[in-house]
Amino acid sequence: MSDERGAEKLRSYEEINGKITSGDATILTADEFVDYVQRKGLKAAAKEVDVVTTGTFGAMCSSGAFLNLGHSEPPIKMIKCWLNDVPAYKGLAAVDAYLGATAFSETRGIEYGGGHVLEDLVSRKDVELRREGYGTDCYPRKSIETTVNIDELNQAILLNPRNAYEHYNAATNSTESIIHTYMGTLLPRYGNVTYSGAGQLSPLYKDLDYETLGIGTRIFLGGGVGYVVGEGTQHSPQNQFGTLMVRGDLRKMTPRFLRGATFHKYGPTLYVGLGVPIPIINEKVAASAALTDENIYTDILDYGVPSRNRPIIKRVSYADLKEGEIELDGKSTRASPLSSFKYAKEIAETLKAWIVRGDFLLNRPAELLPTYRELRLLEVKKPEPRVKDIMTKNVVTAKPSDNIKDVAKMLVAHAIDHLPIVEEGKLKGIVTSWDLARALAEDKVRLNEIMTTKVVTALETESVDIVARRLDRHNISGAPVVDSENRILGIVTIRDLASLLRR
Amino acid sequence: MKLKLSYNYENSGKPIISEIILKMKTPINILEAKLNQDSGEMIVDIPASDRQLASIIDLFGEAGVTVKELTQFIEIDRTSCTSCGACVSSCPVQAINQMPDWEVEYDDKKCIRCRICITACPFAAIDLT
Repeated sequence: MSDERGAEKLRSYEEINGKITSGDATILTADEFVDYVQRKGLKAAAKEVDVVTTGTFGAMCSSGAFLNLGHSEPPIKMIKCWLNDVPAYKGLAAVDAYLGATAFSETRGIEYGGGHVLEDLVSRKDVELRREGYGTDCYPRKSIETTVNIDELNQAILLNPRNAYEHYNAATNSTESIIHTYMGTLLPRYGNVTYSGAGQLSPLYKDLDYETLGIGTRIFLGGGVGYVVGEGTQHSPQNQFGTLMVRGDLRKMTPRFLRGATFHKYGPTLYVGLGVPIPIINEKVAASAALTDENIYTDILDYGVPSRNRPIIKRVSYADLKEGEIELDGKSTRASPLSSFKYAKEIAETLKAWIVRGDFLLNRPAELLPTYRELRLLEVKKPEPRVKDIMTKNVVTAKPSDNIKDVAKMLVAHAIDHLPIVEEGKLKGIVTSWDLARALAEDKVRLNEIMTTKVVTALETESVDIVARRLDRHNISGAPVVDSENRILGIVTIRDLASLLRR
Repeated sequence: MKLKLSYNYENSGKPIISEIILKMKTPINILEAKLNQDSGEMIVDIPASDRQLASIIDLFGEAGVTVKELTQFIEIDRTSCTSCGACVSSCPVQAINQMPDWEVEYDDKKCIRCRICITACPFAAIDLT
């Protein structure tokens, strides 16, 4: 036997399946295997245990289903299609559609999406089906409105391009306000930490070197049986961000393990239950399957920074996260998962029970998954407007000691609404025409009595989109542009943003 | 104990809470207040002994305020809940916790009715009672 990847040194797939069929196989869940290795040692455990079962249950946005909706009389070539008002992708043959988990209802908004439709289908509920076509000689019909349920479809195939992330980063928020993300609700000033992934139950962490995972691996998917189709999108195994593309018959799944969900102010998704059996074919696989929460690390990133390069706040293990308290910024912060450990455990146990009963056999993959994939990022080649391209450079400013009446006259003379207050070149505050109107009504005299000192600012190099969102969030109409030392360089207002639309 | 206080046209302008705080020398934490000249509603939390609480409730009654004791603010629909934990760390007062089996438990005494958990739940399993 060679040392190449996938070498069946301890046992072959045929031997494992033979033992499963005769009822002699030793199957443990990943949690049980971790304990067993600690008691008996890795060598003995690898010798005795045939299969380790894993499980994960979390939000997996890259999920969806191919549906064949059947031909009507007279037939239609669908160019648009909605299920419960959620649009499905229709750039396929006449009655094929792909319903994605994150598409959302055109009437109910993000509270109800593709993930919810999939759950309703699996729950065997009737779903409103609406189709539109343009009429051809062979497909004369132009529209249909009816209801369907999953048993009336020809095929309903869950095909998820990216599932079961090996691990995922954890999230916190350094900013002053609460934010709503795909990592859940993040409280201000490092108020909490959320994380995802199943730690020592995670399917891909239990076969770290892809000795057994490959095209055709039979798995638990959504409560039914599924298969690995290949590597998932953004598969990045060298960074422990491996992913799977999986498929399974939606009709054999259960709503317990396929659940529509919505992240507040982010959008809908699908919680997918997925479990992989890891055959202990060699000691390398056994060592990987024995990894504990203490050995599995992730980074807590600052989701308050809306960039693909979110700063790393701290590196922690899943054991640290599961404690529920993390020390951040000098204080103890609560940490909680977004994916369900309870369900992950149930999936690993269910898969174990299937194998023990002899209902589920393992198969040798047709091709193992790659262990290296370069992760490419998108460079935007078309020039995009930055703050410095649209800001007003000759900004009118005032001093904190200035008289309000004089300043009011200045605003009128320059026809502006925002006046940054500057001392020795540095930004100290801001007043708006509205602040001045109120100050005059209340007989205030000096600017420093009324100016806002906590100023929302922008940087020259920032993208216009980011600053527009910041203005919207704070419900303001302009922000001074400053450098790293808070020296004023200009001002950007909604008027500047509007001019961009006219270009 | 958390109380719901209902004010009417006659008493909504009076400083009833201040008077009771001064008289009973007990803190009263106002969690929610919707008051106008005609009527209003407040949710308050009073950390007091049962005996003190009875007197406080009597004082509100004498001032014409209708008092209702609140025992549960939110309800978790256990068929929708997957015990994921998304609500747990989003709770600013640690009123929601996960047990060793990851089951989510809610402690009404700590709840301040902020409603963050309701939107934090991906499965819409939490609602006000």
